[in-house]
Amino acid sequence: MLMVSLCIAAFFLGFFFWATKNGQFDDDYGPSVRVLFEDEPNLKDE
Amino acid sequence: MKNNACFHCGDTLPNKPIETEGHSFCCNGCANVYQLLNQHLLDAFYQYEPMAGSKPRNERPDAYAFLDLEELRSRYITFQNEQRVHLNLSLPSIHCSSCIYLLENLNKINSKVLRVQVHFARKQASIVIDSKMALSELANLLNYIGYPPDFSKNENNSKKHDRTFLFQLGTAGFAFGSIMLWSTPDYFGLGKDNPGFRNFSAYLSLLASIPVLLFSARGYLISAYKAIRSKAINLDVPISIGILALYLQSLLQILNGQGAGYMDSFAGFIFFLLIGKWFQNITYASLSFDRDFTSFFPVAIQRINKANHKDIVPIEALQIDDLIEVRNEEIIPCDSELSSANTYIDYSFVTGESLPVLVNKGDLIYAGGKIQGVASQMIVKATSNRSHLTQLWNETKNKTPKNQLIRYQDRIAQYFLIVLLLLALSSGIFWCVVDKSQMMKVIVALLIVACPCALALSAPFTLGNALRVLGKIGLYLKNVSVVESLTAIDTIVLDKTGTLTDPNSYELKIKSNSLNKDQFAVFVNMARQSTHPLSRALALANEDIDELTLEDFQEIKGQGLSASYQNQHFIMGSAAFVGNEQNAQGNELFLNVDSQTAHIQFESKWRTKAIGAIIEKIGKEHLYILSGDQPKDSDQLIALGFSPERMYFGLNPGQKSDQIKKLQSNGRQVLFIGDGLNDVGALGTAEIGIALSEDMFRFTPSCDAILEAKFFSQLPQMIEIGRYAKRVLQICLAFSLLYNLFGLSIAFTGQLTPLIAAILMPISSITIVILSTVLIQLKFKRLFKS
Repeated sequence: MLMVSLCIAAFFLGFFFWATKNGQFDDDYGPSVRVLFEDEPNLKDE
Repeated sequence: MKNNACFHCGDTLPNKPIETEGHSFCCNGCANVYQLLNQHLLDAFYQYEPMAGSKPRNERPDAYAFLDLEELRSRYITFQNEQRVHLNLSLPSIHCSSCIYLLENLNKINSKVLRVQVHFARKQASIVIDSKMALSELANLLNYIGYPPDFSKNENNSKKHDRTFLFQLGTAGFAFGSIMLWSTPDYFGLGKDNPGFRNFSAYLSLLASIPVLLFSARGYLISAYKAIRSKAINLDVPISIGILALYLQSLLQILNGQGAGYMDSFAGFIFFLLIGKWFQNITYASLSFDRDFTSFFPVAIQRINKANHKDIVPIEALQIDDLIEVRNEEIIPCDSELSSANTYIDYSFVTGESLPVLVNKGDLIYAGGKIQGVASQMIVKATSNRSHLTQLWNETKNKTPKNQLIRYQDRIAQYFLIVLLLLALSSGIFWCVVDKSQMMKVIVALLIVACPCALALSAPFTLGNALRVLGKIGLYLKNVSVVESLTAIDTIVLDKTGTLTDPNSYELKIKSNSLNKDQFAVFVNMARQSTHPLSRALALANEDIDELTLEDFQEIKGQGLSASYQNQHFIMGSAAFVGNEQNAQGNELFLNVDSQTAHIQFESKWRTKAIGAIIEKIGKEHLYILSGDQPKDSDQLIALGFSPERMYFGLNPGQKSDQIKKLQSNGRQVLFIGDGLNDVGALGTAEIGIALSEDMFRFTPSCDAILEAKFFSQLPQMIEIGRYAKRVLQICLAFSLLYNLFGLSIAFTGQLTPLIAAILMPISSITIVILSTVLIQLKFKRLFKS
């Protein structure tokens, strides 16, 4: 059990590092609005 | 949606807006952008955020021609091959989600733009373009849609973001969570039943804690070591003693097989400290407080060689006696002598005064002025790095380092450390007499519990909260130490031109007038069509005059306007343009029709609202005025409520900062507010230098804080927030000391268990965080939401 918890936690730590390195936390606004742009055609009907 | 606002940029509509497809626009630029977006099916732009557009500036088509020069081009490109070119551009007008939408869909407008990715926080875009596309074409396109690229800051943007801090935080968080999980059995006293398991989890904790000590806590240990070496004490010293005592004690326990020690508290402690640091280090990534003025200069300029041939050269390549051509609205890069006809120069960049000044042929023009009018030729008299402006800058920049304020919590730390050592000593003696075997244990427990974790968190959270709250109301501080300085301010020193006066609104003084009403109405109609500051002021002051249809309207940049109405020829503009003999200044306007004339003088308006609020709340005995001008307005200033013995006129930049030093030597804590480059020295000398800015992304001299001009009148409340932050800090400190005392009393009796330590540490920290946030927010609401 202990090892499992260590592995899981270590996995998350590694994941966090990886994400940071890839710039995940650099821009905390852009991506949140970017997803909305996908619905563009529907918006035109409003 | 507001009906009187431009559909594109949201500005108030003029009397005669431009109507296109059922929408109203304030100017042709806005309407053109709308049509362009509409054509390329990008009008969703207006649905994400209404009126989100930026008003496009008119630039000559060759404004960006310098980008096609190979040596300059390569400065901005990050990568290129035969098909494509990658570059990062800084686009300061990015401000909302619609901007991201538009920029990232730029390829719909021009298919040669292959990909755009906006980095919102830094206001930058990484752009990939077809290698067939010239950089100037891209820059022109961006400028056309209202995102003029800023080429000045671009050279070092390849610098990698420093992410070490996030790694440290992550490591500490990981260790904290994991160790707590593994220690859970211990908390409930289950560990003793299963020593093998307990040992295993203890070693595991030890393993997880090593990177926390060596990597995450590194900053605190190094800072404490440095402080001790330079025989000073800061808060990091008791923190480090606590950390090390905690760690060594736990290490010994683990190695002796006595359980996991306090590793969980240790990791949690570091984790909370780092969160505090992260919270206070949030800065305004897109604002720049240490901007060098040269970043506002053009990158390249037109040089005219002997064969009368024009070529574009980088500024650094200019030599003395080169003939250069500077066009309308361009900044003059070097001190030079005007060799073409008279022109007007806007020195607002240097002095804050936005009305242009007349310069005659043969006069010396200083670097930093902006040409208003037709392209002018001038002979370079000093290279850019030796100009008057550069000297001014260098002279004042390094003159006086700011009085370094000892951080409040560091002062507390000194007493704290003395008390702590005394306590440790006395309890050591006490237990030495009572029970020697307990002595070491109690001393170590004391050091652990006394570790000022909550104390260390008080300052970052209180000051960080204050910083954020002030940012919401238009005062952007460079860092949290400015909040601390703000608490002590007792004297406010103000610059006059551009600070107490509003450079964008004028008072009209009619010097002479023989026009009749109808003739005047024609002039107002002419003024409405021009963007010159004086025309705008005239139009704004006479909004109620009816629309007339003019013929043959012409604008000669920097000189004047002419038009016909009912077969009469109307001209307005500078004295020379109208044919007036008078020797006029840049703030005067002459009107002439059919030998009837008028002469209007424009004077900057006072920011009466802000001045009133400041005098009322702060009191005139704490207010000083330092001005570079002659004392012609002193009567008006006295009428506004300033006291005559606290005004100084005719000061040069050096004298301004000397005057502030004089105040400081009388024990005053000075806040200086200024706006121009001539204030750089004073901004640097004062405890806090605030640069007042009409437009956040325009030039601001280097300073400690930037204040948006429209929030100027709230300055007293902002100072109030700063003072209140100090009181909150004291309350938090009292709380954290209470926790420490409580912990100490337990430790003193030798009853400290890992469970109590594990509970006490986070609870005290969380109380502090909540307390500081709630108190500051409440105060903010009381002051500003009423």
